[in-house]
Amino acid sequence: MSDCTKIAPLLGARDHELTAAEAAALAAHLASCDRCRAIAADLAATEGMVREGLMARANARDFSTFADEVMAKVGRAERPGLFGWIGRHRAATALGTLIPVLAAVALLMYVRIEGGREPALFELSSEGEATTVLQTADGPVVLLAEDNGS
Amino acid sequence: MEADDLSLVSKAQAGDAAAFRALVVRYQRKVYAVALGIVKDPDLAWDVAQDAFVKVHAHLGEFEGKSAFSTWLLRIATHLAIDSVRRERRSRKDDLDDVPEETLAEGGEGILATALGNDPRQNLLRRELAGKITDALADLPEKHRTILVLREVEGLSYEELAERLGIHKGTVMSRLFHARKKMQAALARYAGLRPASEADSKGEEGEG
Repeated sequence: MSDCTKIAPLLGARDHELTAAEAAALAAHLASCDRCRAIAADLAATEGMVREGLMARANARDFSTFADEVMAKVGRAERPGLFGWIGRHRAATALGTLIPVLAAVALLMYVRIEGGREPALFELSSEGEATTVLQTADGPVVLLAEDNGS
Repeated sequence: MEADDLSLVSKAQAGDAAAFRALVVRYQRKVYAVALGIVKDPDLAWDVAQDAFVKVHAHLGEFEGKSAFSTWLLRIATHLAIDSVRRERRSRKDDLDDVPEETLAEGGEGILATALGNDPRQNLLRRELAGKITDALADLPEKHRTILVLREVEGLSYEELAERLGIHKGTVMSRLFHARKKMQAALARYAGLRPASEADSKGEEGEG
């Protein structure tokens, strides 16, 4: 009985799916076990029925709208216009976002190298908008304020 | 066939919607069949199959062609189907891998082979039973439905099943065997066949 329990799961294997030892043990067991031979016959008789049954159900169904529904969902999933482009080109967008930052860093480094001393920063306020003025060796540099960082 | 898939995929990757649509049409029924076998409900299977294509489309850029497109697509469909079943029955646990010996002792070995035989006239019964397959599958726990569907509809090998399901080959063999035994018991019930040893198979006993 316990031999059957160990051996029966080997039934239904395809070629090359069992090790040589498993295949030999299965053959030896089948030669002496009516019950496992009957199980093997059942497996052979019902082989492929799950596929046939499910594909028959699929083939019986009307799929005329399926692809259009998928394409509509795909279209909805893609954000339109600029945002859609940004979504598809995240690396480029990230680089684009970095450009102003890199430019600002480059400017500061230039000022530090040129000036040889800490640049003086002071703020001007005009009509409620703050503007930073960077005092450099070449004279004051006005950094225009951006109201909303993007 | 496969080269054709790849050329459609590369066109779809370049933004060709018609190429992607052609892939959908080519595989829609197979994806649906896999989903139906796992989730049981035809409308849910329809949604799962569509979601699989939508997900594939969203990740087309990541497909490098290391495996066949259909393998990739069906892998995604399988995951979505299993997720969907598990979401539906969070509280129930029917994923035990240990198979009690009673499963082998359900009785009636050979009864289907005898009934179906190789006689062409018996193909009618086989066709009738195939028509009952979704009902018979529905009697099985999710893990047994899934492994049967992957083996038979997708045609995966033991190694591929082990990889796909994250289990050992030994577990694949035993799970598949017991799935088939349960399937056969269900089919025998639908066919009105009864094991000689017992008037009525105990059916859902054990690991269900």
